[in-house]
Amino acid sequence: MHIPDNLLSQPVILTTGAVALGGFALGLRRLRTRLRDRTMVLMGVMSAFVFAAQMVNFPLFVVPASGHLIGGVLAAVLLGPWAGALVLGTVLLVQALLFADGGILALGANFVNLGLIASVGGYAIYDPIRKSVGGQSGVLIGAMVAAWFSVLLASLAFTIELAASGYWSDLPRVLGWMTMIHAVIGLGEAMITGLVLRTVLSVRPDLIFDDEGATTRSGRWSRVALGGLAASLAVAAFLAPLASPKDDGLEFVGGRLGFLNDEAGSLLTGPMRDYSIEGLPDIALVTAAVGLIGTLTVFITGLILARAFTQNTQNHNELGPSSPAEKGPEPHAA
Amino acid sequence: MRLDWLEPDQSARGPLHRIDARVKLLATLALVISVVLLPIGVWRPLGGAAILLAFLIGISGVPPGLLMRRGLAVLPVVVLLAVMIAHSHPMAPALGPWIVGGTILAKNCLTILSVLLLAHVTPFRDLMTALERLRAPTVLVATLLLMYRYLFVLADQLGRMARARRSRSFRNSRWSEWPLGASLIAGLLLRSFERGERVHAAMLARGWDGTFRSLDGPDPPDR
Repeated sequence: MHIPDNLLSQPVILTTGAVALGGFALGLRRLRTRLRDRTMVLMGVMSAFVFAAQMVNFPLFVVPASGHLIGGVLAAVLLGPWAGALVLGTVLLVQALLFADGGILALGANFVNLGLIASVGGYAIYDPIRKSVGGQSGVLIGAMVAAWFSVLLASLAFTIELAASGYWSDLPRVLGWMTMIHAVIGLGEAMITGLVLRTVLSVRPDLIFDDEGATTRSGRWSRVALGGLAASLAVAAFLAPLASPKDDGLEFVGGRLGFLNDEAGSLLTGPMRDYSIEGLPDIALVTAAVGLIGTLTVFITGLILARAFTQNTQNHNELGPSSPAEKGPEPHAA
Repeated sequence: MRLDWLEPDQSARGPLHRIDARVKLLATLALVISVVLLPIGVWRPLGGAAILLAFLIGISGVPPGLLMRRGLAVLPVVVLLAVMIAHSHPMAPALGPWIVGGTILAKNCLTILSVLLLAHVTPFRDLMTALERLRAPTVLVATLLLMYRYLFVLADQLGRMARARRSRSFRNSRWSEWPLGASLIAGLLLRSFERGERVHAAMLARGWDGTFRSLDGPDPPDR
């Protein structure tokens, strides 16, 4: 979901814009040293791929609608965190410019949510899991868990950006709804990411991004910091609704995340006083339960997929109907 | 595959098509910024902006119904968010949630329509040249150009793969759509990656030095 214009306040637009520009510049610098002159071509083609992959619709079972892949974690697993973020960024830019899908001034916020948080943050979750589980199952499980979290974290960031625009009194309610909805959306994203990676692993396992040789001490530290940040954000996502019925719950979360400045504090006092919390504990409990169940589901599905995958590696002809298509002659028109 | 929506229809020709893309880009940006900056509940400047936009759409030659249809595609998200936050806007106690939600909706209609108008009177290539001449990073512009060029190639490829899938799988249940769709994406991914490598090799073989040159339109500035 892309943020349209007219919802975020000017300080939020400026802040997210600055963060997005900084992240974009940092990503470009990282990529130039890694890919050198291949950067533009690969990034352009992979952006086109993400765009095209979002056109493949997946039927939903509960509602008569269909969803599609977002692709932040998939791009990060295959291209590395920064290239993934930049690919998502170019897709967002084209969507905003050609289809008005997402606001022009909200582009910074959208890039922070879907590029930096979903792709770079998702990679920070994926990498430790991959390394601790190890092997190809590690890639699958890590990517699925990270895909689930990336959707959740992006929606959390969106909620915070909205709240910082002057809607603090809505934070518990919106946070509860957003977490529940996106826990389900994230399950779909995790499923698609896992299924796609299963095929990629069986055909071209060398395409999986691996920074083993390039890790320096600073790189490792930044990854630890990012992982810690992502984990604390995830915990905050589940605990915020629980903490909010207490009077200082919101201030605690706001202060912890550094979003509660003086201006927002004055906004807080008015609407928070008479904000009714009837029925809120239910939402809070459901939200926390959804969070736990979602994590477990994704993890177990990842395990099952990994198990099925390792049994299938001997003969990957049985993997699916895609195999004949992939072995067909490649058209040479480039 | 629906490819038509990927590229805004440029067949209509009007006076807006002839203006320099930089002017159009900056003007659209100015219009969007001024609409976003308007406070809630101020209707007169909003009406003025709406009349200006209606006038521009009128002389552009782009069918208004087309813009409306494309605008409607993104409007549900706006409506959802407007309903979600209308009650807690700082101005809501004074003006009522209906005014707040209505203003947010109206302002979004204006910004969405102005961006869509820009896309319909400016070819993407010109938009990118304009971005480059406005000192956007070359890497970004080149990436966007390459993305736009291969978007249609990959979408075509996806269409062929989807057709092959449809003609070979007779028993489609809703459950099997998921692994099938995922393997479709995986196949496209592998082909895209390999195509990217081939394209790069081919470009190097033709003496590519990292800059894009175009025969029509103004030259990009010297760096």
